[in-house]
Amino acid sequence: MQMEQRKKIEPVIQCDNLCKTFRTPGGDQEVIRNISLDVQENEFVVLFGPGQCGKTTFLNMIAGLEKSTAGTVTVSRKCVTEPGPQRGVVFQSVALFPWLTTMGNVEYGLKMAGVKKEERQKRAQKYIDLVGLQGFENTFPVELSGGMKQRVGIARAYCIEPEVMLLDEPFGALDAQTRYLMQEELERIWQTAKRTVVFVTNNIEEALYLADRIIVLSPCPCSIVKEFEIDLPRPRNYTSQEFLHLRKEIDATINSST
Amino acid sequence: MKKKKTPEVWICGIVSVFAFLLLWQIGCSVSELGKMIPGPITVTGAVLKSMVSRSIGGHTLWIHIGYSLLRVLTGYILGSALGVVVGLAMGWNRVVEAFITPIFRLIRPIPPIAWIPISILWFGLGFQAKVFLIVLASFCNVTLNAWAGAKSVDPQLIGAAKMLGASKSQIFFTIVMPASVPQIFAGLQVAMSSSWTTVLAAEMVRSTEGLGWMIVTGQTNLDMTQILVGIVAIGVVGFILVAVMRRMEDILCRWNKGKR
Amino acid sequence: MKKLARHKYLLISCLSIVLILLTWYLCVDILNMVSGSAFPKLTKTISTFIKKFTTAAPDGATLTVHFFNSIKVALWGYVMGVIVGVPLGILMAWFRKFDMFARPLFDLIRPIPGIAWIPLFILMFGIGVLPKALVIFLGVLIPSTVNAYTGIKQTSDVHLWVGDVFGASNAQKLFKIAIPTATPMIFTGLRVAMGSAWSALVAAELLASSSGLGYLIQIGRSISRSDLVLVGMICIGVTGALLDELLHLVEIRVAKGMNAK
Repeated sequence: MQMEQRKKIEPVIQCDNLCKTFRTPGGDQEVIRNISLDVQENEFVVLFGPGQCGKTTFLNMIAGLEKSTAGTVTVSRKCVTEPGPQRGVVFQSVALFPWLTTMGNVEYGLKMAGVKKEERQKRAQKYIDLVGLQGFENTFPVELSGGMKQRVGIARAYCIEPEVMLLDEPFGALDAQTRYLMQEELERIWQTAKRTVVFVTNNIEEALYLADRIIVLSPCPCSIVKEFEIDLPRPRNYTSQEFLHLRKEIDATINSST
Repeated sequence: MKKKKTPEVWICGIVSVFAFLLLWQIGCSVSELGKMIPGPITVTGAVLKSMVSRSIGGHTLWIHIGYSLLRVLTGYILGSALGVVVGLAMGWNRVVEAFITPIFRLIRPIPPIAWIPISILWFGLGFQAKVFLIVLASFCNVTLNAWAGAKSVDPQLIGAAKMLGASKSQIFFTIVMPASVPQIFAGLQVAMSSSWTTVLAAEMVRSTEGLGWMIVTGQTNLDMTQILVGIVAIGVVGFILVAVMRRMEDILCRWNKGKR
Repeated sequence: MKKLARHKYLLISCLSIVLILLTWYLCVDILNMVSGSAFPKLTKTISTFIKKFTTAAPDGATLTVHFFNSIKVALWGYVMGVIVGVPLGILMAWFRKFDMFARPLFDLIRPIPGIAWIPLFILMFGIGVLPKALVIFLGVLIPSTVNAYTGIKQTSDVHLWVGDVFGASNAQKLFKIAIPTATPMIFTGLRVAMGSAWSALVAAELLASSSGLGYLIQIGRSISRSDLVLVGMICIGVTGALLDELLHLVEIRVAKGMNAK
């Protein structure tokens, strides 16, 4: 059945035998070894692995922020060589432009593309509303809380209407309560404005709550250990039987791989 | 660090300044010191008098302040503008950086004051020589900071801008420039004090008016009161210049306030 | 590839220096585009520089004598300023009562550049070493006090609480916690102070002196010997840079591991 699905629609993201080696004075360090991955349109894929395992590097290569040592990434048949508005990235450190207001940050991409002021503010407003930041349009990032900053980051990436969204541990720096809230928010946003998403996390609950498919990665050098298709109905319940069962299964996979 | 000043602090401040003035006054009236320097009352009187009458070199105090300010601001604006352009260019383009760095390394360690004699040889004794010195004084500080600012832009911000579709020149104008503003302002502050010092030195060496001229003629005429009036004016104007710069920074770098 | 790139930029840097010297040589030495009194010939500057080590004419002393005279005065004022300024800053930051009384007075002299005191001190003490050293002293005092003050104020409360928990006395907290915290800041102040000391010295020597590098360039100007002025300026620049480098080396040794950067 899976084969048929893949035949019907060509995958949006295709990673083919990606490798990455960092050259350091102390010798070469292999970070990523032969990762091949296809992501379908509007699929929510979570890359799940322990800290420092190279999953961020992997995501950065899809984004074009880092170059692969070997192998290729194509998104919608276009080979990725540098970052561009085709792939929206939400950074772990948010990386908002501190001198721009919420509105300024969200409309930045449209401004660079030369969209007229009225038009781009209308479109930016739509995404500011979507992430629930009405009333904070003229606030600078220093005045926003961690969760709100990340909402701006999501709106900013969404606003350029990219084909794929890449999220790099976006909720890693948030406290547990805000984190749950943001996970629910992200799901709601994704349900309202569907996109192909690749999401990196080291939190198993977060992965299970959000993912259509979880890719379990091994520690350095990073490679795919196992894939899990998650077809639980949404919105999911963190404490349902199936949820906990899957959680145990993934836990077991990680423990056996390390 | 900036806590609200309590009335206690104000009182202590006033008491200590007042005590200092009192000590000065008493010292002048009872001891040998009185022959050397005038007391605070004499100085205050002279300051007030020079504000309204043309008692110093045929000008009022305001005219002297005006001359010094005109020189300093002309040179400062020119030098800072040049410094921002050169510094940002050095931070952005490695060829420009490699080309200018050695020249900069040569010029920077020479204090602007040491350029006074050669500036007189080149430009004579007038306005131009002084402006040239101020340009030098502000240029070096501003360039250094703009350069460091442009070099230290968070690479992730540049990555984010690229991701959002900004071209190379757009990244320069919308990311590198605003990101360097706090650093540039730090440079502008230092440049302001350095320019103020330099203009005084230049006026002291060769001039026919201005605050520097005022204190140095005070010395040649053995007029201690005039020197002290000059020093007071120099302190007040210098303080105002720095305060204005700080206020401008507060307004322009509102987004950066949490980090300082 | 990367190595090649680095060599490329090094080459550009060298090229830039060569280009300047070549332009200088071409415009002044060969084409005589400017008069010798405004801008000296390259060859003449070099020969003056070498000759100045042995001949005293026309300003009465060799380059080495001028150099040592300047250094002597600068160091006098500098050492005095640091010895007073750094403890003053530390005391002001550590003792609130002292701060409340001393700060207003300090803020009063702070906006006055050191060189503005030159005429006053000359009238009071003549044109010997003392007025110059005093001017430098004031120029040094301000940055060293300000930096020591901010450095001590930066001590984090948590570190002081750790001291409290282990029963440290007030003096122990000052010497074992606050001063080490402030050390990098203090060194920044010392370097800023060195720059302003050197610059104040040149100003003082320009105005009232009978020897020193500042005197040398002033005499060079008055007799229109631009080569002499340039030689003096180069010496001033090089000495300033060396002094700064020296302090930087001390800073690296003393403040090792203390610098958060």
